[in-house]
Amino acid sequence: MKKNTDFLSSSLSRRSFLAATGAFGTAMCIAPHASVSSDGSVLVLRSYSDLQVLDPAFRLSLPEEDIIRSIFAPLVVPQAGDVWGWNAIAAEAIEQLDELTVSFKLHDNIGFTDGYGQMTAEDVKFSLERIADPALESPYAGDWGALREVEVKDRLSGLIHLKNEFVPLWSTTLPTPASCVLSKKAMEELGDKITTKPVAQSGQYLLADWQPKQKTILKRNPDWSHTPGGFEEIHIIPIEDPATAERGFEAGDLDYTWVAVPSIPRLKENPPENSVLLEKPSLAYVWLGINQDVPPFDNPNIRRAVQHAIDRQVVVDAAYFGAASVGNGIIAPGLPGSRDSVTYDYDPDKARALLEQEGVSDLDVTLDILNQSERLAAAQVIQAYLAEVGINCEIKQNDSGTFWTLGSKDGDYWNKLQMLLQRYSMQPDPSWATVWFTPEQVGVWNWERFNNEEYKSLHDQGLVESDLAERDRIYRRMQELMDESGCYVFLTHEVVGAVHRNTIVPGLKPNGESLFSEFRPA
Amino acid sequence: MSEAVSKGAGPIRRILSEPLGVVGVVLVLVVVLGAVFADVLATVDPSSISPRDRFLPPSLAHPFGTDHLGRDLFSRVLHGSRIALAVALFATAASLSIGIVLGLIAGFGPRWLDALLILLFDSVKSFPTVMLALALVTLFGPSLTAVIVVVVLVNVPGYARIVRTQTLSMKDADFVAAAESMGAGFSRILRVHILPNAIGPLLILASMDIPVVIAIEAGMSFLGLGVRPPTPSWGAILNDGFTAIRDTSWIAVAGGLPIIVTTLGFTFLGETVRDVFDPRLKVR
Amino acid sequence: MLYYTLNRLALALVIVSVVMLLLFSMIYLIPGDPAAVALGPRATEAMREALRVKIGLDQPIWVQFWNFFTSAWTGDLGREVLSDRPVAAVVLEQLPFTMALIFSGVGWSVALGIPLGCWAAVKRNSLADHIVGVISVAVIAVPSFVVAIYALLLFAVTLRWLPAIGAGESGNFFDQLVHLILPSLAVGIGWVGYIARMVRASMLESMGAQHVRTARAFGLPESRIVYQYALKIAILPTITLLGVGIGQMLSSAVFAEIVFARPGVGKLVYDAILTRNYPLVTGTVLVTTVLFVLINLLADLIVGMLDPRVRSGL
Repeated sequence: MKKNTDFLSSSLSRRSFLAATGAFGTAMCIAPHASVSSDGSVLVLRSYSDLQVLDPAFRLSLPEEDIIRSIFAPLVVPQAGDVWGWNAIAAEAIEQLDELTVSFKLHDNIGFTDGYGQMTAEDVKFSLERIADPALESPYAGDWGALREVEVKDRLSGLIHLKNEFVPLWSTTLPTPASCVLSKKAMEELGDKITTKPVAQSGQYLLADWQPKQKTILKRNPDWSHTPGGFEEIHIIPIEDPATAERGFEAGDLDYTWVAVPSIPRLKENPPENSVLLEKPSLAYVWLGINQDVPPFDNPNIRRAVQHAIDRQVVVDAAYFGAASVGNGIIAPGLPGSRDSVTYDYDPDKARALLEQEGVSDLDVTLDILNQSERLAAAQVIQAYLAEVGINCEIKQNDSGTFWTLGSKDGDYWNKLQMLLQRYSMQPDPSWATVWFTPEQVGVWNWERFNNEEYKSLHDQGLVESDLAERDRIYRRMQELMDESGCYVFLTHEVVGAVHRNTIVPGLKPNGESLFSEFRPA
Repeated sequence: MSEAVSKGAGPIRRILSEPLGVVGVVLVLVVVLGAVFADVLATVDPSSISPRDRFLPPSLAHPFGTDHLGRDLFSRVLHGSRIALAVALFATAASLSIGIVLGLIAGFGPRWLDALLILLFDSVKSFPTVMLALALVTLFGPSLTAVIVVVVLVNVPGYARIVRTQTLSMKDADFVAAAESMGAGFSRILRVHILPNAIGPLLILASMDIPVVIAIEAGMSFLGLGVRPPTPSWGAILNDGFTAIRDTSWIAVAGGLPIIVTTLGFTFLGETVRDVFDPRLKVR
Repeated sequence: MLYYTLNRLALALVIVSVVMLLLFSMIYLIPGDPAAVALGPRATEAMREALRVKIGLDQPIWVQFWNFFTSAWTGDLGREVLSDRPVAAVVLEQLPFTMALIFSGVGWSVALGIPLGCWAAVKRNSLADHIVGVISVAVIAVPSFVVAIYALLLFAVTLRWLPAIGAGESGNFFDQLVHLILPSLAVGIGWVGYIARMVRASMLESMGAQHVRTARAFGLPESRIVYQYALKIAILPTITLLGVGIGQMLSSAVFAEIVFARPGVGKLVYDAILTRNYPLVTGTVLVTTVLFVLINLLADLIVGMLDPRVRSGL
């Protein structure tokens, strides 16, 4: 129904969230009672979107990342569990020799399908440099932005040379599909890109069949001689709407699915038979943004009046049915810079006083939101609070195609955009959150047009600072600056909910993102 | 249905002598009175939010229960009838006027213009309504205006065709030619000769179109393409109910029921009006 | 007959062209950039521009329109923005689901509508006739999405008799049939009413016709008269009606596909418009419009073939 896509993909990486919401919705088709996971042979999972591109350099959504990682063996993959980390897959050994050098050695028996022979260090060099090559125009070129070159030492080993020290290498570059190893020979023969028909697969699983909008079938790779995947087959069923997926799970059609946050209380109280409800902290952040360049919000006191007018607790409680708690910034709990409070409080009298002081009354403003039920619920509560202090707020629901262009400086709406409900997600490093609010991002992804030089220099400082306490201070200060600008009313980090049969053990990253190849029978 | 109605009876009595007409009148009256007295009947503000009271089943305090934001559904349904009726009346009036103008243009204009208009009407009809609505909403954004534009586009061809047919049959009639030769103005010919003949079929079509308009408004609001929140629209309530269908069934029931009552009421009434005034049209 | 056929065919072509022209003008006017949606936040302006050029959005609308039609003629509907697959293939994958839905909808309406109409005609002016009349009007009036949601609520969520989502296991015919029951009911139920009324009216008309009266005079059994003679004639307008009905059923199909989470072109084009996947929008709308016009044409031709009066009347 509504575009719930980006909401339930609470775990989407920031860079891909947009593509995922944009990725056109997926109708689906469920095999009733086809889940036979109990005998360990078939795992039926739900993803929120169908696959579109299986190229590590051009992937669009999280489910694609999962498939890509399963079929093109990466050097390392993220580790499942509650702690961020990684496991080597194609690499027998991989280690950081010094700030600028990483050495790796491949397993000696990983083969490519379709007769493309064994995986060699030459393939690693090709794959990593391919993404980094500006000529390829990969949106992920920045992941390997610090790459100088890959040096091949012998058939299976080599050195990754960096131009400069690069802290996120082990958190947000290597454990992503950016370390997937493609066959150089196959890519050179078949041309530049992989679309939906992968050749020369090498992973724990192989893509056996893709029925568009119905299911994707992964089968265990018979030639994989290391830790095998947990199931003979994984059926990935694209279902866009979380409520639909929950119905499918309850009907026994699925073994695992993310659920909408507002469903968590109901599922907790009344869980489907033989199933387990999981709750994981999310790295998403949701806020009410106020465009500081458009009247009446070009007056900072009016922005602050909005901050004081809204009881964030009630908004979050109403929108998520009590399942999520209030968030106090853009950096999720557990990361450096995460805060316990914001610098403004719910004080409608103060809001009214501020408005009076500025001599305004009966303001008419608009709030743009994505057409999606949690967002709509939150917006209506905000609307009610603003009405309390005499601000008449009109809610404009946008489809994803419109919404994601609203604040773009290339469009013609950024100078009309007044308030918006926004949700971004991030990787487990605070710089992934702060980067979108710098002055360079004004009119790109900084739609509040928040423009603060101190913030910018702190962001640059944070990127090279390795002392944890200092980083904590830097990122707290940055969010204080956001508070003070009046442009932000921080709402929540949400929470990731999922249900699975008690016959399986899901493989999940600490933020609840799935790792298909790490799912195991119970 | 019952043909034994005395010819002299007034139209209202004739409608009321048909059982279907009585049911139609009663249902429509329920909706209209609900809309008029919404503030008296439902004392709770339809937009008043109370998250703690979400998903309450029907009770004395909340006859239809509450929705996911703890809003009183009875009050939302009653106030929703205002939106539905307002859209129905306004959009039907607009389509009627535009249809008359276009029908006259087609009828009196040059042949190529007539052919072009007919072609446009047929093309618009070939577009499934939902796609037309989607395209227009991406153009204008979801709003009441978009709903009305969609309704007008969908309904105008029907009215225009009636007026065109009437005009064509009148254009060459002797008395119109005579009137013209006597120097009667265009507007006089229109008033005296064309409209009186077209008005019956037009009004019948309009009364049959009202439930269609209500369905379009509710359907668009259901898809989130209609009125803006928190304005209570039946389609929006139905969508809230669809989203929460496993939390509670009351919201979906409360959203669907008034749509059923209203479309049934107006359809029964429209059918009876048509049977009473123009039995020739009895089957579509 | 040939002249009639050609005439209808030419009209059909013109209608398809006008529809597509309207669609292109609409796309031209609609805000939102498919390139921005497709490429994500990390894309540079140059990359977005390249994609726009690739889709042809940088060209004047007339050129876009011309290019689309010249290649559509050869069966090439362009390529989808994101996965770069041929639009024709994507549409053809989804079309069977919607066709199945619509034809089952027609199935409901024919299976229920014709007997009800016959019955009402035979029992003219009885209580049964009146009840059928009221039911017909009622099912026509109630919007399909309300029927869909109530059916979902009652039969899938509350009673759990029928599946709530999807189109069934591919290859398992029975399963797919079970998954069709509720959505096709929502799509077809309104047409039960139309058809019942239509059949009743034309039966009444034809039962008064000369050869039916003759048959009766010869003492043929009443049931045989009804089904062999009267119904045969009554079926004509029903075909025309169904031709017109398919377009409206496509609208209902969008709702049914959303409510029951079925794959299909309704859902496909709905999502494509929302995400500005223009090649997919134009391709899908072209295919469905052509289909709609063709079905109408076919209905017209069948009726024209069976009933010479229609031919000359045009």
